[in-house]
Amino acid sequence: MRGVLALLALLCLAGCDASPVVQFKDASITLPDDSDDLPEGPGRQAVIENCTACHSPSTMLQQPGVPRAKWEATVAKMITLYKAPVDPEAVPAIVDYMVAVQARQSDVPRETAR
Amino acid sequence: MSSQRLTRRALIAGAGGAALAGPVFGQKLIDLGLPGGPSLRPLDPQFPGKGEMIVQRIRPPLLEAPMEVFRTGTITPNNRMFVRWNWPMPTEVSAAKHRVAVGGAVKAPVALTLDEIASAGETVEIVAINQCAGNGRGLSEPRVTGTQWGNGAMGCAKWTGVRLKDVLAKAGVAEGAKRVRFAGLDVPMTDGAPQFIKSIPIDIAMRDDVLVAWAMNDEPLPILHGFPLRIVVPGWFSTYWVKMLSTIEALSGEDESHYVAETYRWPTVAVKPGDKDFPTVPITAMPPRSFITSHADGATVALGKPLTLEGIAMGGDAGLAKVDLVGDGWEIPCTLGPDEHGPYAFRRWSVTLPSVSGDLTQIGTKAANSNGLTQPGELVWNPSGYARSVIERITLRAQ
Ligand code: HEC
Repeated sequence: MRGVLALLALLCLAGCDASPVVQFKDASITLPDDSDDLPEGPGRQAVIENCTACHSPSTMLQQPGVPRAKWEATVAKMITLYKAPVDPEAVPAIVDYMVAVQARQSDVPRETAR
Repeated sequence: MSSQRLTRRALIAGAGGAALAGPVFGQKLIDLGLPGGPSLRPLDPQFPGKGEMIVQRIRPPLLEAPMEVFRTGTITPNNRMFVRWNWPMPTEVSAAKHRVAVGGAVKAPVALTLDEIASAGETVEIVAINQCAGNGRGLSEPRVTGTQWGNGAMGCAKWTGVRLKDVLAKAGVAEGAKRVRFAGLDVPMTDGAPQFIKSIPIDIAMRDDVLVAWAMNDEPLPILHGFPLRIVVPGWFSTYWVKMLSTIEALSGEDESHYVAETYRWPTVAVKPGDKDFPTVPITAMPPRSFITSHADGATVALGKPLTLEGIAMGGDAGLAKVDLVGDGWEIPCTLGPDEHGPYAFRRWSVTLPSVSGDLTQIGTKAANSNGLTQPGELVWNPSGYARSVIERITLRAQ
């Protein structure tokens, strides 16, 4: 640990008026708007209504391609673990939509193939 | 590293005619080189106090540093430090009203003001790497779900604060306490969902360099980085560096809470996709890592000329011991830059090849720390993509 920890000016010698180590000021931030962009397709509305309250759509859209069963498991995880208020009747439409979006999602091919 | 490439929406406009997610026409995109994609990420919108960052998610914010941030120096500026929240955090914090409750297995619970925290003990500074446990998850092969980071969910800063043990002393830890748990102001949006609370063993909590920090690179912690206070555990992944600290709780037993008992864990045995019911332990100490920062994957280099490669390396939870440049069947030791900031910080390295005789195919760097831990040649695959430390390889074309 030697040499790692540097002690700050706590050398409060005679005459020091015990000024605080740090002065805390209030803080605030204005976060950028979320575009809530989702590709068109059947089930889009169900995803907007059920899946965008806690996180941006990018949470879903950036996932690697996974089988339908994994989407079903993910939706179930949102409901049981994170208590997502998902309409049970909307679940098939949500899963269909995510599977369809992933199937047509294509990126720019990398110039350097691995 | 820099398998990342800037590109433009225009390039993908023809992609099947289907409206692609997220990117808006004209938006600046970066290619993270995630195998099989989706690999493109926007570099905007810009967040207050941040420079150009890879916007993985706006809400709650997930911002990644482009690898160019690591091209020079060893300290990551605050405006390029990665940002990671599990649940939405408050966007306003009153310094005067903020209290940190210290309770649980203690002699006398207290609620401390910020001034009381700041004067709880000696002010301590330490330079340490803050790295997400899932850094590089998007590069896992086979791919795994979760935040699809490239390698930029890391950064190295100087942290200023007081020792956690001095803050704990204000309440007096009870005999036999086993762990210390932290909670912040970020709470779930739904009743019954797990709050992001994390705990560390008592011996780690009592370390001289484990801090309750209020400053990052000599500036007050920005809201995105956990204003007014965050925990700093040098050498451990940032999942323990709880932000917007509001509760410190000594535990007399094990921590059964979700983010310790059920996730942020990795297998103790080799596993493959589909395996179930294997033993796991919490992901804690960081392994060594290193990156070539002077050249991007696919860059061209001059045939017959000398070539200098440069980069950055870390020892993890112990000091960096060495870095070797490795290729197919060969290794060359690299020269380490000065040890500017101690064992938990980045160090630079460089190596000069006398003459480039052809393409440099799949070269990478292998760091080792003073505990003898060395970066593996093969990915230690795990279903959550934690603690990536495999040798990162690039190919350079000789021309
Ligand atoms: C109650 C809040 C909530 C709702 C509503 C919600 N999620 Fe989530 N979701 C989360 C949280 C929390 C995470 C973890 C975020 C993190 O790690 O940063 C998450 C993560 C994810 C991930 C990333 C992979 C993973 O397993 O962590 C996916 C994919 C996802 N959610 C899909 C969905 C879908 C589809 C829906 C709609 C059915 C949905 N979410 C609705 C809270 C929610």
